[in-house]
Amino acid sequence: MSFTEQTYRELEAVVGRRNISRDEYILAGNRAKTPEIPFAHKSAEAIVLPGSTEEVAEIMRICKRWELNYVAYVTACLPTAYASKEDTILIHLKRMNRILEINEEDRYALVEPGVRHVQLYPEVRKRGLSYAPPAVGPGGSPMVSYTCTGGDNHVQYGTSRPTRYLLGVELVTPDGEILRTGSLQADEGWFCPESPGPSLRGVVKGYSGNAGRIGIVTKCAIALDVCKGPAEIRKEGVSPHHKMFMDGGLSRVYVFNYTSMQDVCDAILALGENEVGATVQKYFYLPLALMMTDSANEFWEKWGDFKKIFPMPLVVHIAAGSVREREYEERILFDVVRETGGTRIPREIEKWWEEHMDYFMIVCRLQSVLRLGGSWFPNKAYAESTQVMCNVAESVDGFIYDYTDTGKIFDAPKNIQIIPMEYGHFASSELLFMWDRNDPDGFAHMREFTMASAESDRRHHFNEYSMYGKEWAEKITKAFS
Amino acid sequence: MADLNKFRYTIESCNHCGQCKWLLPGRMYGWDFASVCPIHDYYNFDAYSGQGMLNLAGEIMNGTLPHGEKLAEMLHTCTACGACDVNCKNVRDMEVLDTIYELRKDCAEAGFLPESRKKTAENVVKNHNIYGLPHEQRFSFLPEDFKDDPEADTVLFAGCSVYKHPETFLAAVKILRAGGVKFRVLKEDEWCCGASLWRMGDWEDAKELIVRNTEMFREMGIRTVITACAECFGSFRSGYPRFVETAFETKHISQVALELLRDGKLKLSKDELPVTACYHDPCMLGRLSETYIPWEGEIKSYGLHVPEKQWRRGEHGVYEPPRELLNAIPGLKLVEMPRSREESLCCGQNASDMDPDFAKHTAEERRREASASGADTIVSCCPFCREALDAQDEYKLQYLDLTELIADRLAEEVES
Repeated sequence: MSFTEQTYRELEAVVGRRNISRDEYILAGNRAKTPEIPFAHKSAEAIVLPGSTEEVAEIMRICKRWELNYVAYVTACLPTAYASKEDTILIHLKRMNRILEINEEDRYALVEPGVRHVQLYPEVRKRGLSYAPPAVGPGGSPMVSYTCTGGDNHVQYGTSRPTRYLLGVELVTPDGEILRTGSLQADEGWFCPESPGPSLRGVVKGYSGNAGRIGIVTKCAIALDVCKGPAEIRKEGVSPHHKMFMDGGLSRVYVFNYTSMQDVCDAILALGENEVGATVQKYFYLPLALMMTDSANEFWEKWGDFKKIFPMPLVVHIAAGSVREREYEERILFDVVRETGGTRIPREIEKWWEEHMDYFMIVCRLQSVLRLGGSWFPNKAYAESTQVMCNVAESVDGFIYDYTDTGKIFDAPKNIQIIPMEYGHFASSELLFMWDRNDPDGFAHMREFTMASAESDRRHHFNEYSMYGKEWAEKITKAFS
Repeated sequence: MADLNKFRYTIESCNHCGQCKWLLPGRMYGWDFASVCPIHDYYNFDAYSGQGMLNLAGEIMNGTLPHGEKLAEMLHTCTACGACDVNCKNVRDMEVLDTIYELRKDCAEAGFLPESRKKTAENVVKNHNIYGLPHEQRFSFLPEDFKDDPEADTVLFAGCSVYKHPETFLAAVKILRAGGVKFRVLKEDEWCCGASLWRMGDWEDAKELIVRNTEMFREMGIRTVITACAECFGSFRSGYPRFVETAFETKHISQVALELLRDGKLKLSKDELPVTACYHDPCMLGRLSETYIPWEGEIKSYGLHVPEKQWRRGEHGVYEPPRELLNAIPGLKLVEMPRSREESLCCGQNASDMDPDFAKHTAEERRREASASGADTIVSCCPFCREALDAQDEYKLQYLDLTELIADRLAEEVES
């Protein structure tokens, strides 16, 4: 069936006239392609803005009755937030934007999809609590970050990935049924992701978010951590030079450079064994250079020096509960760095980190990577043991120079980050690369490079970018078919 | 002629990250007061936002979407407050607001300009003021014995708001006289600054007016233009260089008053003023007042601008002088709203002709924010913000104009 006047009227009856539109200019606001994708989106038939779970459920029933496709979204940052077929409506969840509860005793926040990081993060900090902010900017949705993406993040060393922080979830199925998972099923509140009977966690999230999931999450509870280090953040300055400071007695940032990937990973593992540091990461140098400069031109002026100064930066944030604890962690840190061959990099760079703590600030600044035109792609974005991630990073040298040296992709061959999680028990990696979007062959180069990267993974028996690995993907397909 | 291709790089660089709509982390506050885009906050659809308007500009540029009345209505309901621009430029090299201006211009040239804007343009062209009131009445409130210094190279520019709020102009006069500043008033030679024309996309009429004003300043030997109107201030600094080379400096009365205070030429009364005030940053005095620097060149691979471009990111607006003046008033306690300085929430007045309900909602939102910050008084220095924020409602806030407040608080010995 196709989208008709009758369909529109039914949807309008659910959300009200003000919250639905099929105006050509309104639709045009949600179909432009972004620079990192080589294809154009389809235009949706209409955009609807439900205000409650019940409205979402009713919309789903209408979609089922009329066989309409639907795409639910909040920020529209990912290509999956757009129509890819005819007869698709966009369900924009912006109006469902309440923080329903911040439970300080059981340490969770209950949110609707439209709540943004810039809203939730300061609210939990005020209460001495925190959560891992993924690198999506202030307008990103915590609920989407925790239910619809892989969610590797920059503070997962001392915490973990969002999979482990997702608690009770309310989901509307394509039939319009409202499904509640975890302790909610037993009317025991939002605090627990599991309940008697089969686990429904995988229905909601699994490993990689919404790949394969159906339905729309309308509420979720996120577990919170106690703030490591000082809860209070001092802010000053005017954009683009905002600064955030944390009490230097409890919070310190150190940046070291390494010349060998194995040495960096040895340092990561040693720090993890000693549970030293709140965040530890082998950072990628291209975003760091972009974050520390004000314009693309300034970046180009300084990039040559940056590459020489820190091709393999290890960033360690110590956030302690007391000065004594901080000093203790520092002593171990310096021992580990000495033993693994790290060197302190110029104070100016450490100072920049100190002036931009905490990590919410850092990850929001990470949008600077788009400053070079916006054509970017993550590669090798998967997780394994820290040693495997080290091997993955070392394997990049085997194929990347064919692309960087020929100008097919941006010349940043060491731009892979390794972020340990749970004190180094796992780690995730990301090889972020860019291509020239002025180059008519730019997308072809991007695809070619991605294929070469995947081929290298297969040769080395690493995970492929599919997240699961070919062998596991086949097993899963067989089991569920 | 409008040429959206000049903004192709910006239009095609947007990754839809949404940062144009939300408070930056450097000013994060909490769940409340987190939105910075008034139209997105009210209408909810993404087309009503910096991101959405770039998408619309892209389709118009590529010919996949026609011009139309609804498009013009959307474009002009946007208050062009520039919050999206500042937020985007926090991390990107893009010209979001200038693209919106170009799209307005493009629409106007295609014959789509809302009726209320056409009327304003007509008023400026015929009567030299935005209200369409008789030009000869512009300074009719001045006492007959009013004397300025006709030889001065500094002019006190009143702006069209002088028709409605002559008291602000007189307060500025009082401050300048108290500080011993020699200045002249243009009287019948003063025409509108042209802000409404170039901001609405009526480039032709704007250019004629701006050339006329600039030429007049040159002929009169004017080196400094002082104004108490935020809109005129922003227009002189960020609008005029789009059309002409300007040889005059523009100062806001708050900057001048602060200089005089620091030099000891101005003294404030020691009598306490027991109010808790917050300062509302007008867009055209704050983030949009940075001097426009024309740039023409090529954007090469990976964003390299050749020649190098001087970016206006909202950092150098007039933020501190008004605050320092308020802090100098004994008894006045200054508190900050969460959305302040470059992240100030627009008052919404600029769209009051397009959608009064939206404008009212936005003004109420700002007053709610002021009230939540603990203030009993909102201070600002824009006649249009005054119209929006000087209201009687549940928040029980008084509105004070900064220029009038400073003039009222001058020490008596200085006044005499």
